[in-house]
Amino acid sequence: MSLKDVIHDIEGYQDIASEIAVLKKYGFDYSAQRGQLESILDMLHPKKLRLRISEIIEETRSAKTLRLVPVQSYLPPFQAGQYISLVVEIGGVVTSRDYSMSSPPSQIGYYDVTVRRVGDGFVSEYLLDEAKPGDEFTSSSPAGNFYYNPLIHGRDLVFIAGGSGITPFMSMIREAAGRGLDRRIHLFYGSQSPDDIIFGQEIEDLSRRHSNFTWTSVISDPPQGYQGRAGFISAGLMEEVLGDLSDKMFFLCGPEAMYTFCRKELASLGVPGRRIRIEMYGPPKNITACQGWPESIDAGATVSVSMKGGKTITVRSTEPLMNSLERSGIVIPSLCRSGECSLCRTKLLKGKVFQPEGVKLRKSDRQFGYIHPCMAYPISDIEILLQ
Amino acid sequence: MPEYDAVVIGAGNGGLTGALTLARAGRKVLLLERHNVPGGCATSFVRGRFEFEVALHQLSGMGSAERPGPLRSVLNDLGVMDKLEFVEMENLYRVVWPDTFDITLRAERNAIVETLQERFPKEKDNIPRFFDLVYSFSMEMVQGLFFKDPNISKEKYPLFFKYALTPTQKVLDEYFSDPLLKAVLSIYWSYAGVPPKWFSFGDFAIMLFAYIEFKPYHLKGGSQALSNALLDEFINNGGEVRFNCGAKKITTKGGRVTGVTTEQGDTVQTRYVLSNTSMLQTYLDLMDPDQVPRETLDGFRSTSIGPSAFSIYMGFDCEPEELGIQETTNFITTTTDMDKAFARWKTMEQQGVALLTCYDVSDPDFSPPGTCQAAYVALQYGDPWYLVPPHQYYDAKYRYAQGMMELAEKVFPGIQGHIEEMEIATPMTHLRYLGHLGGAIYGHDQYTKDTQYFMANRSPVQGLYFAGAWASQGGFQPTLTSGRSSAKAILKSMAKK
Repeated sequence: MSLKDVIHDIEGYQDIASEIAVLKKYGFDYSAQRGQLESILDMLHPKKLRLRISEIIEETRSAKTLRLVPVQSYLPPFQAGQYISLVVEIGGVVTSRDYSMSSPPSQIGYYDVTVRRVGDGFVSEYLLDEAKPGDEFTSSSPAGNFYYNPLIHGRDLVFIAGGSGITPFMSMIREAAGRGLDRRIHLFYGSQSPDDIIFGQEIEDLSRRHSNFTWTSVISDPPQGYQGRAGFISAGLMEEVLGDLSDKMFFLCGPEAMYTFCRKELASLGVPGRRIRIEMYGPPKNITACQGWPESIDAGATVSVSMKGGKTITVRSTEPLMNSLERSGIVIPSLCRSGECSLCRTKLLKGKVFQPEGVKLRKSDRQFGYIHPCMAYPISDIEILLQ
Repeated sequence: MPEYDAVVIGAGNGGLTGALTLARAGRKVLLLERHNVPGGCATSFVRGRFEFEVALHQLSGMGSAERPGPLRSVLNDLGVMDKLEFVEMENLYRVVWPDTFDITLRAERNAIVETLQERFPKEKDNIPRFFDLVYSFSMEMVQGLFFKDPNISKEKYPLFFKYALTPTQKVLDEYFSDPLLKAVLSIYWSYAGVPPKWFSFGDFAIMLFAYIEFKPYHLKGGSQALSNALLDEFINNGGEVRFNCGAKKITTKGGRVTGVTTEQGDTVQTRYVLSNTSMLQTYLDLMDPDQVPRETLDGFRSTSIGPSAFSIYMGFDCEPEELGIQETTNFITTTTDMDKAFARWKTMEQQGVALLTCYDVSDPDFSPPGTCQAAYVALQYGDPWYLVPPHQYYDAKYRYAQGMMELAEKVFPGIQGHIEEMEIATPMTHLRYLGHLGGAIYGHDQYTKDTQYFMANRSPVQGLYFAGAWASQGGFQPTLTSGRSSAKAILKSMAKK
């Protein structure tokens, strides 16, 4: 005898069984919900976006804004400061780069991404020189953790931007101005020369119209006779402009060198880590200069990468593993390309990789040998498991 | 076309234990996971210097090495115990009602009885009587039900037959008159997601009994460590896993599973599928309509999509003491009216009931030195979030979170000023990562009518099996266990061939 035979003896069983019988007859017919899950998801977090360039706006001699409209459907919401990962195919290599939206979240018709020429920018050059209205791209949904949180960031904000690092701030400033948000913002904007200031006119106009928004432009490489502020965004400058720093929340977005400099300056001013948010910036320009890089491995070193059950390739130690894989036609999932999001998480079976400080590995991922190839540099022959 | 003995869809708790059980039996198994990391709910994510625990609050059924509970035995059998380090929690929980009431119960029967007697002197005699019932009932349930006594009968197990399906509220009303005492004792109803009036005493009693007898646990590295350990052992046993690759279609022929097509478009042959995704979604979205019998879909009419959660993950720039956090498990309440609290789960109204878990109290290594973290959760259905227009979503999310933080501030004044990292998950976030309608975290609603006694867990499709909350109950122990039992059923069926 099993429970099945005596189950009717459980007090209340009969009543519940008849309730079920009624519900089975009149309850909701779930077959109507076929496909519903995906359509709900598409409202907020579609897996991929199909975007078309509707317009290209010349911002400065070295920067353009690509206005991206949805090919089908509509654009999901984002938080000012977030980015999309734009997939491009250049000369047969499929890769992707992250671009923060410079348009505000309240603009629901398009996303603006603003691209600036960088010295050896594989993708930026393509977008600036080759891309044209009508071109279509695939991108990720908006992502990233560099945004304002009203619960913990207070109302007194300081934005420190360097070069194209202005883009997430432009979205935040446009949003605050456009929606009349109760925030005070001061922007420090460092550019190389006055010609490099992106959105200069609009920023100036906004600061005139809105008493809660002010800005300071700082030129690192001023032309002769330049009247404005020159130099770097230093502790002295911040103190002079901002006065009392307590309760202020600092947001930084710009090149690596600016982070190194401004971090020190903020520390010297006694700003606690909790009040500083720094946008990630991708792989370092020169990995061999990173703390912990093994001295024995020079810039020209190559190693072999074998994929379990697949092919073996030769790669440079100083290039992120993900980029090397892409060069040989192996595209693994990517999003942040800064070691943060873990989308590219891959198991290392043999050998060693160097992962600079700041790569956000889970403790147990470390324990079980996982790496983030977008910020992992193979420093010996390695074997990986592509899953 | 590649062929596997079995394909497991989803690397959640049930999928992982299921896949590992099959691989350990020497079967060729493919595990498909749409996300980039194993675990489903049992996972973590990194922000700043914090690795946040997503879902595990108190692991039940572990027990000590000397006195192992059922879950420890399962994990032992799966060969993962040597990769994991478990942390026992001394206390069951704290229940705090700001400015009104505050009590902490140790995870020990006599201590609980004494603490409650001291606080509720009028109920002095009723308290030990109630625990006698919980214990005697649970012993009967273990003997009769779990150990499958072939001579099970009403006469042999009178308490089980009397109370298994009785609403918890009814039993509480029978024993006590103080509503506050009833609220304190039944606070685990929120772990089940069903208010006491619809929560079967059988499920409630065994849960309370198990937490007290086997103690609540956590583990070093959080639930992600468990998921990673299970997956590692799966790979070591020859299992094959694909991340960022969900299943798109289960193909059948003549009422029998024949294969699985992945999201990447390739098809594999198999005669067995263990689905760790929701049962409903499996039938609706992974199978063609003509392959699912009408009666099977009609079977779901008596069920409803269960609750999701609104979760705030917080990393603090100080130790727990500085925030006034002394307990790992803090249930915060502002009412004894659980029906009303439950009704609000379907609205955007603040509930006044929430759970704040600070892992660092039991495990000081959980967060970096000088910091700590908390998972702060209120259960909520997905429904009200469907009504939020996408472009108001983030505003709505912050507004709801702010309401919850105001409640937390009443218990831990100044807490908000110490937050260094914060991530907020709404039911829509859970919907996104779990792929369940409603963002359900415990499967369908677990009313008494939805308990194991009434469930037809056999699939009409031969070779199709289920694991996880939708196939059993929500929570870690049930889902981990369900994967193992379903895999055993598959092995049994394979052996018959």
